[in-house]
Amino acid sequence: MTISFHDVYFAYPDTPNKPVLNIPSWTVASREQVFVHGPSGCGKSTLLNLLSGILAPTQGELSVLGKRLDKMNYRQCDRFRANHIGYVFQQFNLIPYLNAVENVHLATHFSEHGKTSVKQEIEKLLAKLNISPDDWHKQSNKLSTGQQQRVAIARALINKPELLIADEPTSSLDQHNRDNFMSVLMSLITENNITLVFVSHDMSLSHYFKRIDALSEINSLERGR
Amino acid sequence: MFLKLALKSLLNRRGSVILTLMAMTVSIFVLLAVEHIRYQAKDSFANTVSGVDLIVGARTGSLNLLLYSIFHIGSPTNNIAWESFEDIASSPQVSWAIPIALGDSHKGYRVMGTTLDYFKFFNYGSRRTLNFDKGHAFNHVFDVVIGSDVARKLGYSLDEKLVLSHGIASTSFSLHDDHPFTIVGILKPTGTPVDQTLLVSLEGIEAIHIDWQHGTKVPGKKITTDQIEQLDLKPKSITAFMLGLKSRMATFDVQRNINNYMKEPLLAILPGVALSELWQMMKVLENTLRLISVLILTAALLGLSAMLLASIRERNHEVQLLRAIGASPIFLFMLIELEALLITLLSASLGMLMLYVCLVTIEDFLASDFGLYIKSNFLSENVFYLLLIIIISTVVAAAIPSLNMYKSAKMLQ
Repeated sequence: MTISFHDVYFAYPDTPNKPVLNIPSWTVASREQVFVHGPSGCGKSTLLNLLSGILAPTQGELSVLGKRLDKMNYRQCDRFRANHIGYVFQQFNLIPYLNAVENVHLATHFSEHGKTSVKQEIEKLLAKLNISPDDWHKQSNKLSTGQQQRVAIARALINKPELLIADEPTSSLDQHNRDNFMSVLMSLITENNITLVFVSHDMSLSHYFKRIDALSEINSLERGR
Repeated sequence: MFLKLALKSLLNRRGSVILTLMAMTVSIFVLLAVEHIRYQAKDSFANTVSGVDLIVGARTGSLNLLLYSIFHIGSPTNNIAWESFEDIASSPQVSWAIPIALGDSHKGYRVMGTTLDYFKFFNYGSRRTLNFDKGHAFNHVFDVVIGSDVARKLGYSLDEKLVLSHGIASTSFSLHDDHPFTIVGILKPTGTPVDQTLLVSLEGIEAIHIDWQHGTKVPGKKITTDQIEQLDLKPKSITAFMLGLKSRMATFDVQRNINNYMKEPLLAILPGVALSELWQMMKVLENTLRLISVLILTAALLGLSAMLLASIRERNHEVQLLRAIGASPIFLFMLIELEALLITLLSASLGMLMLYVCLVTIEDFLASDFGLYIKSNFLSENVFYLLLIIIISTVVAAAIPSLNMYKSAKMLQ
């Protein structure tokens, strides 16, 4: 089991009486690719932040890759995230003033991933993601949105994570770039045996996935809404 | 990578960073300049005279006497009679006496009439005597020895002839052009007003004024140089004189005797006491300057802090991203601190460069117009501590935006 939620309850510390999430049970198996859909404002970012250990659950058991995140302190969570979890956002995936190579390199800075031959690995990965070498050293805010999102995949995968979290990664892309993005992503995920949690409200992407979960089903607070 | 991130982030916000950098540079420049000049001025004044037990002149303020006799700042109030000098110099407690006659100049540099004892007994710094770079002391009436700055600035060498002018303005029209002097010696640099001085014998001073009355030439009355050398050139009056005593214990006795001298009103001062009076006067000014420079630095540091704080709002996505790839809130705190430190370090380097350039440019002006010898090398232990304080203040001031960054990293939403 890669992900397992058990009676996880979360409310922000400043509003303890307004719970955002209550997940009685939700599991994702190793190497599974899950499409989670739901409208915005139903605890999507909170779920992903819990999953990546940026937020700690108020109550309940949450284990990722066999480790109890709810038992870890902040520092251990940061370390764990750097080593085992890749994250792709909707947009602003790159530090705008660094170039593509530096952005990917920055991700290795926080992990315990072997630091030798990082450069070759980065270049290999960027090449695989169809980023032409001419663009490797361009400041990342000068790249097109499609290129930026693909560099984001490279950044998320450079530390060879076991789990990849994608938070609406295609919503800023046009049809062509979206298909391009999805096919590269799916092939890399399969090739590297990575578990994928992909969140989007765009149901047209669901055909890439075998398992499709509705967030409103996972989060009991949203059930029946 | 950490450093690269901070550097590139600053470069990305060039506009506001450069303005902050300039504010910091100016403030560090002011702080270091005030501190250096304050320190050096004291040093320079204290080094100008040593081993002189008493300075005697016409009755005036003790500071005034010190300033015009030693530092050549301001004008003497009155002359004293040669007989008084001879009388006091021959008293049993006195080991040596150096008479000084001021009032003439050469191209803005002051001319001082004295005796050969000046070269023998006058000390500066830590008891160093005057040394000749070239040539020797004056032997004849129309011989002149020049200070190192005079030689360098006016490009003079030995055996050249020069004409003294009456009064101390640099553009005097009343020249003693009928009696040119010959350069027989050039002194080594001392870092004191001696470097800016031309030294002649008292007889020389007497000789060029022999056909003068009431500060102007008497027309038609011409005496040749040969004739002058035949005359008795014993001076009638001098400006002041310095005394060295056989025993320092006698200083106050001799001082009291001189101050009570019956034949004319005289004033004897201890150079050290007069200097400390000067410091007392300068202290208020000094502290004011210091306070202002500290306030300027505070303002610049607050500006730096405000600039960084404003940047944090626009860096929300960056925080989120760095957190997602595993950066801890501490890392983000340190990132802002590092950005602040980079600005301060660069400002400190620029400020020091600016100070160095300024000191090199105004060095000569300060020396010639104020008798202040400020070294252009300002690196000292003092400066090191100041820089340390500036760095610590930066860390403290940058803690405000850094904490903000830390908080926004901790509670992402």
